[in-house]
Amino acid sequence: MAINAIDHTRRMLSLVTYLRERPGARVADVARAFGISEDELIGDLDILPMCGTSFRGGDLLDIDTDGERIWWHNPDASGTSTGEPLRLAADEATALLVAARAVATLPGLREGDRQALVRATAKIEAAAGEAAEASSRLSVRFESEGGVFAEADRAISERRRVWLRYYSPARDELTEREVDPIRLFAVGHTYMEAWCRLSEARRTFRLDRVAEIRLLDEVSDPPPVELRDLSQGLVQPAAEDPEVVIEVGPGGRWVAEYYPHDRADELPDGGLRITLRTPDPASLRRLALRLGRDGRIVSPEDLAASAREAAREALAAYGE
Amino acid sequence: MAIAKAERLMNLALCLLGTRRPLTKAELRGSIEAYIEATAGSAAAASAAGASESGSDDAFNRMFERDKEDLRELGLVIETVEGVDGETGYLARRDSNRLPPITLDAEEAAALGLAASVWQQARLAAAASGALQKLRAAGMPLAEDPYGGQSALETRVPTHEAAFEPLLLAARDRRPVVFDYRKANAARPEQRRVEPWALEFCRGHWYLAGWDRDRQAERVFRLSRITGKVRSRALPFTAPVPDHVTVRETVESWAGETATGTARIKVRAGHGYPLRERATVTRALGDGWDELEIPYGHGLDAWLVEFGPDVVVLGPAELRADVVDRLRAVAKG
Repeated sequence: MAINAIDHTRRMLSLVTYLRERPGARVADVARAFGISEDELIGDLDILPMCGTSFRGGDLLDIDTDGERIWWHNPDASGTSTGEPLRLAADEATALLVAARAVATLPGLREGDRQALVRATAKIEAAAGEAAEASSRLSVRFESEGGVFAEADRAISERRRVWLRYYSPARDELTEREVDPIRLFAVGHTYMEAWCRLSEARRTFRLDRVAEIRLLDEVSDPPPVELRDLSQGLVQPAAEDPEVVIEVGPGGRWVAEYYPHDRADELPDGGLRITLRTPDPASLRRLALRLGRDGRIVSPEDLAASAREAAREALAAYGE
Repeated sequence: MAIAKAERLMNLALCLLGTRRPLTKAELRGSIEAYIEATAGSAAAASAAGASESGSDDAFNRMFERDKEDLRELGLVIETVEGVDGETGYLARRDSNRLPPITLDAEEAAALGLAASVWQQARLAAAASGALQKLRAAGMPLAEDPYGGQSALETRVPTHEAAFEPLLLAARDRRPVVFDYRKANAARPEQRRVEPWALEFCRGHWYLAGWDRDRQAERVFRLSRITGKVRSRALPFTAPVPDHVTVRETVESWAGETATGTARIKVRAGHGYPLRERATVTRALGDGWDELEIPYGHGLDAWLVEFGPDVVVLGPAELRADVVDRLRAVAKG
């Protein structure tokens, strides 16, 4: 991946510091410590000998590698302070502190990890000094369901199958199922990815919809699955999923913010015509009811009809 | 081939860090190969075009100013010193640039590494890994995989809004911004002039809290409703920045979670689990229905309608009327 010049410079300055303290460091270890590939590291080592305090005076960094180990032959030539650890920039302190504070507040995080994070946060605040102040301008909160989270986490570390009573908003019902947990993750809400023994398929469960969770004595044995890339979004409709078209007025524009869609075309009244795909169009009946006068299902017709029918049935209870 | 910018920045950083006395611009220009090469190139071009020597001075000055800014961006504190002869000198003092001693153990290092992975936004991700690299260079141990491949909690903060980065920088540098904002129920966006205080990720979305200059009041904006570009101005804030900014409370009131009363509803047995979760009183009616008392706040009518014929509102009358009204709109189709 291309790296911008500022980030690249930042990395090379840290690399110089790192190498100063570790003569003969192994290429593989250094690459791992910096979270970069060995090729990227070798690229940096090609640039460093061109850097120094004076191009003409000859006191460039004399750093080289035989591909195995890295040597710096003149660590004192550029002045004694070259290669000293550098203070954290405001953005660096912000990125680290905000993330650490957010993760530390996750209920269900293992206590040892939480304590380690809290200790680390305090140390970094102290070391960053003024640079830490900027971190008050950014904050992140994860929603999570403490009790369920802790049980799910325990199930994963003990490799146990779990029994769930899970709420499905699409059907407005609770279902019971046995699942083999794969992992927990937080993207706004907290989720458990698991292999569902009922449907013999991978399912993602939102923890605030777990009504009850119990660890079973059976060993959890999910088949090997490729983990999804969370950066692509949680809802990834398939090309063959049926298409739903919804028209909303200005008061229903929020639909485009909450539902991943293929397109949202502006309507003359300030509304939107939203086209989306879902494996289960019936699950959108709730949405149709919620929208009221702010929107309507254009197609499929049977979905639109089921919303109308549900509304008429409901009205009957009010004597209409 | 031109010398890579990172190499030029490295050289400037090492020169400024390595010196004990301020270095003048001329000294830096003469000792960094990239400056010699770049300005020699543009000087040749300038004389070929019949322009004056000052053209290449201008080019160097612009490059030098930008480079200093870039180094400040990655945390270098560069001092500007006026010399007795009127020449300006530059240096990065050891005391102001050295990281104070910090000792992190392997457990703390592992926890920080896990936390830093929340960022997917390019700027924050780069800043977080830059911070970890600085700490690593200062002796932070490399963590062994603390989970042995088991149950690392993965946390992600999705940040897709184009407005995020300009607002982050403007809040950091305390610069007012102007953007077009479309309120939840508005057809058209409207221009807002805001002094940005803080950004908060909550309930899966990013929000900005700040001072709305036109309304002369504190306001919370959802980033996904900002349309078009965020422009910032190099002007001072006019309102004081509070110590504590309350984004979450505002978002909760939007979501109707600040209840102002109690509603009585009937729910069909086996349905409406989330309503039952929230109920303060539940009574079985014996005919396949239960009666619930739940908190009544803004937005409850829209939520209850979602349950269709499985929920009936008993009171208050106002809520009952709102729900009936909504159902009529849907029934008409």
